[in-house]
Amino acid sequence: MTIFKTLSAEDRVSTKTLLHEAIPITGAIVSGNYGTFPNDTNVKNFTHGMFQSVYDYPYLSSSANHIFDISIGVSTESGLYSSITEQQSKKNNIYNQMAQVLMGYDKDGNIQRFDEDGDIVAGGNKINDAIFISFSRLLVKDEIKKGSFELELGTQTTYATPFSERIKIQDTNAANSYRVNSPAGEYGILYAGESAGTTTLEDNAQPGDTTTPVGLIYYQAGVVVLSASVFLDDNDGGVLHDTGGTPDMSGPSGDHFDAMITGSAISASADAIRHRIYNLQFNNTIELNSTVYFCRAKHNEFNYSANPTYLTGSQIRVKNQATDIPISYITSIGLYSADNTLLAVGKFSEPIRKDSNIELTFRARLDY
Amino acid sequence: MAFQDNSGDIILDVVLTDEGRRRLAQGGGQFSITKFALGDDEINYSLFETGSTTALQDLSILQTPILEAFTNNTSLMKSKLLSLANQELLYLPVLKLNTQIPGASTYSSDGNFVVAVNKATLDDSDAGTGESIGINSSTNQVKAGFLYGLDQGGDRAGKIVIDSGINSTNVTEIDESLIETQFIIEMDHRLGQLMSVDGKTFPRPVVDDDYVAVYTLTKTPTDPFVKTPSQEDLADFSTPIDGPISTRLSFKIRSSQDLRVSNFLFDRIGSTTQSYNKYNGNPQTTKYIDSIIRVTGRTTGYAVDIPVRFVKV
Repeated sequence: MTIFKTLSAEDRVSTKTLLHEAIPITGAIVSGNYGTFPNDTNVKNFTHGMFQSVYDYPYLSSSANHIFDISIGVSTESGLYSSITEQQSKKNNIYNQMAQVLMGYDKDGNIQRFDEDGDIVAGGNKINDAIFISFSRLLVKDEIKKGSFELELGTQTTYATPFSERIKIQDTNAANSYRVNSPAGEYGILYAGESAGTTTLEDNAQPGDTTTPVGLIYYQAGVVVLSASVFLDDNDGGVLHDTGGTPDMSGPSGDHFDAMITGSAISASADAIRHRIYNLQFNNTIELNSTVYFCRAKHNEFNYSANPTYLTGSQIRVKNQATDIPISYITSIGLYSADNTLLAVGKFSEPIRKDSNIELTFRARLDY
Repeated sequence: MAFQDNSGDIILDVVLTDEGRRRLAQGGGQFSITKFALGDDEINYSLFETGSTTALQDLSILQTPILEAFTNNTSLMKSKLLSLANQELLYLPVLKLNTQIPGASTYSSDGNFVVAVNKATLDDSDAGTGESIGINSSTNQVKAGFLYGLDQGGDRAGKIVIDSGINSTNVTEIDESLIETQFIIEMDHRLGQLMSVDGKTFPRPVVDDDYVAVYTLTKTPTDPFVKTPSQEDLADFSTPIDGPISTRLSFKIRSSQDLRVSNFLFDRIGSTTQSYNKYNGNPQTTKYIDSIIRVTGRTTGYAVDIPVRFVKV
């Protein structure tokens, strides 16, 4: 008579599964859903002023979840750097910190700047004025799924109606083409395409085109590095069409984004960016390491029960005579250690009949 | 925990228990699943209608709603399924609390066992204060149902006896494969400790994260806990089992040091009562903690819960 059945090597298998979740973040959550812009109650500013945090609900509530941070960084190599009158050192510190972590150092130990196409050896354009969007681990989980990232920004010149012209920024074709020369893991190139308006981008690139690189996305780190060029027109060194011009990023003053970088605090620039986020979405990836235990109940096993109601005066209730088949009903599976300690338990959604005419195999999967 | 949705496909909801998570966190190979068991905690087999048609016999049982899994390792898998080679058994052994032999009866008014945590609670006649509650003034003996595990080598106080056997006069012999040879005893490690009736053997338990101590007692020729009564002895035994007895388990409970030296646990998880009388018959204000000791036959999986009260004057 036995209660426990030993699991052999054939009854145990370990697998790795990648699970993806869709993470949609609408523009309304980022600005306007809670409180009055720019003083949204789901947006938290800090006294140090180095970044701004966005939550999915007013952050004073215990129900709120942190979803991402926005910050601005400027390299000392930027043409704007010497003109910065507000938080100059902090903007440079942020740039260097992010570059240290995401780009690493060159052979001489100098921090490398963000490279527009990831080809550091070839030189090329650098992103000197950067917008950093750092997603919470709650959303990213193990990594952002390559090829799934989409950020739609309103680029209409007029501050009050930013979304009548839009660009969609995607990591186009990143599932098949990404870079691995970063100390922070894999990253892809972000490309812009026109999603609303016909003269939005200077080169009229469409979503899916790979002609207008505007930033980098670090999949494992969950960080997006956007070039400030997404808010500047061609005349100002950006990617937007000259016809529309550079958008007014700040309502009352009508400042352009380059003016905000030099003359406004990081929090004000973050407000201006939030005001122009139309939609943001990606799929995350969860790496599930699973062990599957196949619990096999053969025809002559587990047909009796130690349930106190199973017997009436020692006689088995489900039998009238000895030759009747024994019957039991399974509601749970216990997985035990060698010293009989219950380490994991499974419950069925309904009782399962077991008798000597039935063989069953239960597949209990533990994910780590 | 809520009921599981049983309107569609059959779902198996598996979780790690708190003890499983603790061992996983400890590392070092502590978390190793080596075997499984099947349980039927929610099933009430009295709903099985043997007189009905085959299709309707277990209709009520199959409609039983099932709760989601708890994570407390001691709260689930209370009744397990058994594998027996013989599919034509009509009777199975049970465990029954034996209160019929001398020294094994329960406390009369409460119906449970009472563990005196110290000598001042059981018998303070040496000190002459008359505050203790364990002595029957008419017989000058320890009251029935009082246990005192600190009395090493003595037999003044009572013991707990469990008999295993087939509780039916229709059976005269127990199949060899149905004989209990090992028992598992679970009790709150904060309150007490298991010991042999002669007070000389203290088995070492495995204690989990919920302070549940698990003792495994195996029958050996010299084991003081598990014995097989001889057929000659059986003729004289009183037993609650109507059929053949296979094994007898006897033990006492010794109070923990925490209970002896401190009132913290009595205040936290206990209460006070005046239902126990002093030697002079007057009610004594007594601190108590009610608990349960679970005894499970390792062979049959059959279990009994024994209510135990720890008292302190």
